[in-house]
Amino acid sequence: MTVGTKPGIQAAVPPISDADFQKFAEFFYRKTGIHFDDGKRYFVDKRLVERIQATGAENFRAWFVALRFETDGAELQHLVNVMTVNETYFFREAYQFDCMVNNLLAEVVARKQPGSRVRIWSIPSSTGEEPYSIAIYLLERWPDIDRYDVEILSSDIDTAVLQSAQRGIYSKRSVAQLPHAYLKKYFTPHGADEFRISRDLVSAVEFSRVNLSDPADMRRFRDVDIIFCRNLLIYFDDLSRRVAAEAMYDTLAPGGFICLGHSESMSRMSSLYTVRRFPDAMVYQRPLEAGA
Amino acid sequence: MALKKVEYPRDLPGLLAQLADADAGVRRWAARDLAQHPKAATALCARLGVESDASVRAVLFSSATQLGGASVVNAMVQLLRSEDPGLRNGAIEVLAGLPDAVAPHIERLLHDADSDVRIFTVNLLGDLQHPNVPRWLAHVLMHDPVVNVVGAALEVLAEVGVAESLPALHAAKARFADDGYIGFSADLAIARIGSP
Repeated sequence: MTVGTKPGIQAAVPPISDADFQKFAEFFYRKTGIHFDDGKRYFVDKRLVERIQATGAENFRAWFVALRFETDGAELQHLVNVMTVNETYFFREAYQFDCMVNNLLAEVVARKQPGSRVRIWSIPSSTGEEPYSIAIYLLERWPDIDRYDVEILSSDIDTAVLQSAQRGIYSKRSVAQLPHAYLKKYFTPHGADEFRISRDLVSAVEFSRVNLSDPADMRRFRDVDIIFCRNLLIYFDDLSRRVAAEAMYDTLAPGGFICLGHSESMSRMSSLYTVRRFPDAMVYQRPLEAGA
Repeated sequence: MALKKVEYPRDLPGLLAQLADADAGVRRWAARDLAQHPKAATALCARLGVESDASVRAVLFSSATQLGGASVVNAMVQLLRSEDPGLRNGAIEVLAGLPDAVAPHIERLLHDADSDVRIFTVNLLGDLQHPNVPRWLAHVLMHDPVVNVVGAALEVLAEVGVAESLPALHAAKARFADDGYIGFSADLAIARIGSP
């Protein structure tokens, strides 16, 4: 994006007005589904001023007009990156794991024979905190775990994080949300400040490299009952997000569920899914009756 | 014993054949994979005219957007005249994703004899990320004779209006001085633009 004065000349940016904030918040919500209320003013204003300075715009209005009409979406992507915080840890957004064991799995197994397989896919795996959290939840909080085979798949486009996930070494911060009993049961201390996850859990997750935007990669995955795809699609552009959502539709078994991050909305990406509201979380479902 | 399904090769002829398969899942995968074949653009768009399954349609539209190009834009422009709102809305979504390719068509569409096509074009401008959007909308405000087209443009300008839109907003108010809705919408857009 090119506007106003030359980037690098750090002229003082006028403060973000209430009207500016409102205009930005409405636009950003429409484009990303992320809602910022007045409680986030400091967080948002600080980053807006940084972007205005970085692009060399004279003020909010000049920057916003350029943002609104840019054809390549580059500045919007910068904004998404600075407005979202990408960190992962065990039991992050655990209300969705509660939803899985309290509601989703009951519906999934109601369509299966005892002894048959339940397939759960966590993408992106990142360094493994999410798929291992799913495994721990199933072992500790799903009473039917012994009646079904559960296959946990986990994928990422980044092979370095996949290797890290399989090493299974985690910082204190990463395991801070885990109940102490689980930490004691599934981890052993590793050096002074780290923990090593049990090899049984590592062997319970099948890791693979997948590019969500590559149909050939996606075609390898079928009959998945629950997908966790959280805080990933927010980094995609509109078209890539829609293409990924449609590919996951064919990855899911009919009636299968997909859990997105708390700031993501499937209804902004694709109309193929049905919204399901459960006591613990809102998730999206591939309709049972849709074309097979 | 189950009947063996037809196996199609996943090359261009095979995928094109799968677009007509009885199984919607097979059609979706064919439509998805055809996004890698620029020569499939015409066939993908033609399939939209007969495809009845919404999930297949969605993938056809996404693949058409990925392919882009003149044949896709021309096909989507034709769909703006469809009686099927699903096809029209899908076409608007595809065109909004191809701002550079659709830009040369906008002025012609804004002069279309059918006021519905002009309204759909204004709706498209609401989603189009292109620097000419304020100028195209200003043209509508200054010249379009149909109040519903002008009203649609005012709704878009309430969100995307810039200081340069103000003369056209005042002109629309004057042209439709007896229409309370136009006056209200123009005042709203003017207020949201604020002082320059």
